[in-house]
Amino acid sequence: MQAPQTKEEKQLDISLDELIYKVRELKQSIAGFIYKLENEYQHISWPNMMEHFGVLSSQLNSVKRLLKTSKMPLLRNYVLFPLRLSPDRDLELEKLTEGRVMAFSHEVVPDYLRTKPEPEVEERVQMMSVKASSMAPDTTQKQLTNLNKITANLLDTISVPSASDEREKDSSLKNALPQTSSQQDTNLLIGAITKGHRLLRPEPQSPMVVGPQMGQMQPQMQQQHPHKLQMPGASMGRMPSAIKTNIKAAATSHPYQRP
Amino acid sequence: MEGPALAPSLKNIAPQQEYLLQGSILDAHTDALLHRLRGLCDNAESSFETFNDYEAVYMLRNSSTTQQSQYVLFRVRHALDDPDAPDHIRYLGQAEMGDRSRPTLVRACLDVACSSNVREFLTEMGFRMDHDYVAKGIFFHKGRMKVLVYKIYRLIQPGSTDQKNLEQLGSSHLVELSVVAPLGQEQIGEDMKTFAEQLKPLVMLEKFDHRRLQ
Repeated sequence: MQAPQTKEEKQLDISLDELIYKVRELKQSIAGFIYKLENEYQHISWPNMMEHFGVLSSQLNSVKRLLKTSKMPLLRNYVLFPLRLSPDRDLELEKLTEGRVMAFSHEVVPDYLRTKPEPEVEERVQMMSVKASSMAPDTTQKQLTNLNKITANLLDTISVPSASDEREKDSSLKNALPQTSSQQDTNLLIGAITKGHRLLRPEPQSPMVVGPQMGQMQPQMQQQHPHKLQMPGASMGRMPSAIKTNIKAAATSHPYQRP
Repeated sequence: MEGPALAPSLKNIAPQQEYLLQGSILDAHTDALLHRLRGLCDNAESSFETFNDYEAVYMLRNSSTTQQSQYVLFRVRHALDDPDAPDHIRYLGQAEMGDRSRPTLVRACLDVACSSNVREFLTEMGFRMDHDYVAKGIFFHKGRMKVLVYKIYRLIQPGSTDQKNLEQLGSSHLVELSVVAPLGQEQIGEDMKTFAEQLKPLVMLEKFDHRRLQ
């Protein structure tokens, strides 16, 4: 072997080793994931799943990056050429492929060493390209712009929420969505059902005589703070009651208690 | 309601607590909330279950003690859309906030069905009507959780629940998520919190401090 050749070969060896290492790592995580799916599917949680997917995608990315580095020789230029096919069991091959390929026979070789699509697929691709080339150029152009437009729109839609995700949660809620609830109304409504704010009759002793007072109540209804109403009923209603939450206590303090 | 029957029947009722989260939604966005609730709750395939109730709150002040602030409130409800249904009387205790770790409000709660002359009965006992309103809306349930989305109407003239006599309060629907359960079931609070999270940001269900209303 000459010096330059060995250098090149060494380079190939190193990068191939690296690639094999990365692929093996990827394979292990996939195997682990499959194992988990098959055996622990009852306990697996969604965040856990996402974690696995994250690991797989980062490993795939690193393999891709490795293939793109300048140090990696152009693997496309290397040709794998089957010298001899044999139907006999090949122990070495079996060990290398972890028992997946038993023999280097005519049955499996076309599948593993294929560099072209199957004839039927090739035929269909051919048909498609003929169809594509037979189309009028301006129609193609029109369709292309259309597709680009749709894609751009879609990308915009997708990127808007993901961009706001990065912002603080609260501010994103305010920016991305219209106000759907009002704290003021919450206060008003809860005040009404628990304390009777704004619902109190001016004269709780005789609830049926309200006619004249209604006029006075109306302007006050516009106020922001219903509890400012100075009504005899209101003053009772909003006392910080010392009443016990226990029904028994309430019952014993009852002046009309029955024996 | 028969008077003498009340006391023994009260004794037989196990103390129930109501776990409660409250919020509100603007009328314009109510449909969005209803759709979401329909998807989240049981019986998604059937149509909305509506209610239209008149509630009158009766108050009895405790005259035997010097503290004038002591009073008892009983809430009497009857369904306007189902006149044959029995009336319903409810006692609610003071809502407790508890500490930060507690996810919901908790208050004592007693529900009893009763006949329609309960109002006269309460009045005879010395109760006076404190306030009344009409609650109209939709309810959902998921497991033992109950979700109410309803609007509160004030009676313009007392005594009539006619549609023309009702004036809506505010421009929002009240949203309540509640569970009535025996004392000491803290797990349900967590479930309710999880459920409330799913309604955000449409409606913020929170444990609303009733002392803020003073």
